[in-house]
Amino acid sequence: MKIAIVLASGELEKLQAASIIGSIASTLGNEVLIFATMDGLMAFKKDVVENKSWKAGELGKGMLQANAPLFIETLKQAKETGNLKIFACGMVMDMLGLSMDEFVDIFDDKIGVTAFLGMVENAQIIFI
Amino acid sequence: MAERVLVDARGSFCPGPLMELVKTIRDVEVGTEIEVLSSDESSAKDIPEWVKKAGQELIGVEKRNDHWSILVKRVK
Repeated sequence: MKIAIVLASGELEKLQAASIIGSIASTLGNEVLIFATMDGLMAFKKDVVENKSWKAGELGKGMLQANAPLFIETLKQAKETGNLKIFACGMVMDMLGLSMDEFVDIFDDKIGVTAFLGMVENAQIIFI
Repeated sequence: MAERVLVDARGSFCPGPLMELVKTIRDVEVGTEIEVLSSDESSAKDIPEWVKKAGQELIGVEKRNDHWSILVKRVK
């Protein structure tokens, strides 16, 4: 099965959920394609990651305190063990004049919506 | 007697123990048993589901004092 996750939220709880669902699906032989856009893309900026300054509610703060594996780590692991790819939204980057260097090293490519939609034809799409 | 590998994932939260198992199962020979120790209850429930879906063999799940032992065999 092919699973596409559109990650548009920058909330830590949602980022965590997306990374866990996506990574486990990838270990079961599914092809998983993640499109990080809007606040979901900004969550991968180096300064945000370094300061752990994601938008987080009570649960998210608890996750940080408990030292739970964070979404970036989970996604990196999934890329090593399963068939998971993650793409950065070109539109957001162009609009804000951001380069790939400003993000943690996790993206397979920077693409636009048309390219992503082409890749995920016949995929089950999850919007987070 | 089958070879057995221990994965001690106690103290790690979901999906840590499962991901440890996934990494290990790829590296061992077919026929090897893997014992995963997890203090996370949801992992103890979810690992058997993963094993079934992945077509591997679940030998058993055992609750010990403060953790679970999940015994899995790589069959393919």
